[in-house]
Amino acid sequence: MLPILKINLTNHTTEEFIIPKEWEHDFLGGASLAARILYPLLTKGLDPLSPEAPLLFINGPLTGTNGPTTGRFVICGKSPATHLWAESNIGGFWGPELRKAGYDGLLITGRASALSYVWIQDGRFEVRGAAGLSGRDVYETQEIIKAEVGVKGARVAVIGEAGENGVLFSSICCDHGRMAGRTGMGAVMGSKNLKAIAVHGTKKIEVTERYAVVRSEANRALKQDNEAKVMSELGSAGAANYAEYLGAMPSKYYHQGAFPAVDNISGAKITESILVGQSACQGCVIACGRVVDLGDGKRRKGPEYETVVGFGPNLLIEDLTEVVRLGELCDKYGLDSISTSNTVGLAFHLFEMGKITLQDTGGLELRWVGFLAARQLIHMIARREGLGTIMANGSRALGAAFGAEEEAMQVNGLETAYHDPRGVSGMALSYATSPRGACHNQSDYFFVDWGHTHEEIGIEFFDRHAHAEKSANVAKHQNWRTHFNSVLICIFANVPPQTQVDLLNAQLGLDLTTEDLMRSGERAWNLKRAINNRMGLTRANDKLPKAFLEPYKEGGAAGFTPDLQAMLAAYYQARGWDWETGKPTREKLVELGLEIVVKDLWG
Amino acid sequence: MTAKFPSEEWLKGLETKLNSDEKYREIAKDWEGDLFFSIEPEGNLKERLTFYLDLWHGTCRKVDYNPEASTYPKPAFTLTASYNNITAVLSGKLNPMTAMMTMKLKVSGSMGYMMRNVPTVLDFVRCAQEVTKEIV
Repeated sequence: MLPILKINLTNHTTEEFIIPKEWEHDFLGGASLAARILYPLLTKGLDPLSPEAPLLFINGPLTGTNGPTTGRFVICGKSPATHLWAESNIGGFWGPELRKAGYDGLLITGRASALSYVWIQDGRFEVRGAAGLSGRDVYETQEIIKAEVGVKGARVAVIGEAGENGVLFSSICCDHGRMAGRTGMGAVMGSKNLKAIAVHGTKKIEVTERYAVVRSEANRALKQDNEAKVMSELGSAGAANYAEYLGAMPSKYYHQGAFPAVDNISGAKITESILVGQSACQGCVIACGRVVDLGDGKRRKGPEYETVVGFGPNLLIEDLTEVVRLGELCDKYGLDSISTSNTVGLAFHLFEMGKITLQDTGGLELRWVGFLAARQLIHMIARREGLGTIMANGSRALGAAFGAEEEAMQVNGLETAYHDPRGVSGMALSYATSPRGACHNQSDYFFVDWGHTHEEIGIEFFDRHAHAEKSANVAKHQNWRTHFNSVLICIFANVPPQTQVDLLNAQLGLDLTTEDLMRSGERAWNLKRAINNRMGLTRANDKLPKAFLEPYKEGGAAGFTPDLQAMLAAYYQARGWDWETGKPTREKLVELGLEIVVKDLWG
Repeated sequence: MTAKFPSEEWLKGLETKLNSDEKYREIAKDWEGDLFFSIEPEGNLKERLTFYLDLWHGTCRKVDYNPEASTYPKPAFTLTASYNNITAVLSGKLNPMTAMMTMKLKVSGSMGYMMRNVPTVLDFVRCAQEVTKEIV
């Protein structure tokens, strides 16, 4: 991979960091390599919003090569929401542009004296003032900066007002609504007085002849894939109908197991009613991005599954146009739509319980179906006004402020996504053991519970309501997805393991096997766990919010709850983790070549 | 009625089953669309096999055993699988969702309609499994 540019915003100095070859070999790139690079820096005492906190933008080994969905990059650091490992990956065109500019990563520390943006062009670096951009939304900011740098093809990663105001679930955006939403990387960027990073490069991203052949076949196969067809035709919200049928799509803030109006907000409905186009990340043949028109002639970003469910069933809203508008409002402010809708849902829930009152809301009625109230809460969160001051710190903080932390649907400070473990039990472990809190992207195990197996790497099918018998399978799937998050292939792309091996070997000149990919994933999973252990995480953190352990009365998952403790016991055994401390055992760390961690964890 | 797969008798049996199964009738009451199956030769199947079903509002209006594809040029869905994979689904060894998600069963047609009607698809498979007495 190309060098990483280390940038200190306090004194505007830079330094190139050459990634050691053995790190590339062991971790491949992306979030896994980021964990290795950041390992020495992520300590328990580090304030994630301090100038010292690192913020790493990094590519994968195939970023920008037009391989199957390989146009991605990832942003890593320490999360201000969880105080644990943070990573958030994102598509668009920014990562490939950074590579064309001569870098595969930016490691940012320090704090600019005033709101600024960074401009990188073919290896040249500049910090420019951005005071006039304060409060600008993510789309306006991109356009203004593009005009200011005056270079056709420049790409801009930006934060919105939420990131400037330190909302702990603020996102980083590039292109048209591509969001690194989870773990609050926008707040870290804002804490550095960094409004945006513009990049442009003219270097060609070279690929080998062999890679071009494998890539062509891989893209052709991907285009024919059934799942890719669903994603292309319907977007990720195409899954809503089936998820609802299984009782895996939560509604009414995870307290209602069925949503009969699912047809009104599903991906199929979007396609039939408001879809006017599709958008794709660099090199992607799927184009899951939705472009919609709500009748006013304006082309807008349409919602993906999480936004649809978060602002639809989660709040009992059946009006698709309102769902679109609420998602758009989050995007403009630079807010993660999962954490925002989740925290809004908690506010509605606590209002219904009588814990939040009209006095707390400034007279705002927080009733279910209330999209106007939801809209107002989003404004208040982004601006840190009124109740939004508390909500901006996430659902855990909101629950705690009203004596009801157990009602908050979050794990370790990251709000749960909209895949309910009562409908697809594997998600119980996905949420409880993810290195970044209640995350569905470190292992989107709901796909496996629906039937998407990978038998060639030992990921098999278990009943969607199985318990401990599937724990080892979940661990394997986590390793597989950690590999995805290192190469930065989109998890929507069903690219078979052997194809991934062929792509990597063809481009990097390596001799990898599928076992190597799985081992690399396992290594990084354990390294992230070790980072979290060092920052204070123990087995007590491997937990689920209360509602997931209470059965639904209705819907496709009625009566079922996952047996988390049995699942965890089997999971620890499969992982080779110590049940007392929650750490990977010394033997497991040595087996994975993580000797650097042994002393820190075990003395 | 059960029958050996593949055979015309099996397809007729499936038609009868679909027209007499109360559960299927209820689940599939809104389904409108014909299916064209193309089974690729493999194992005991030496030549490509096709069969066609016209499904409408919880009933089966027509079946056709081994027709030419040109007979039904625009079916709502075309489903293509190898013989071993389709028989694995019929014998219950392969989950139909797994078959679709791992491309062991290729689907062409409106994915929106398919995703909205997964319960109908799964119950159709149940009926087909219950008709299958033996696999050649």
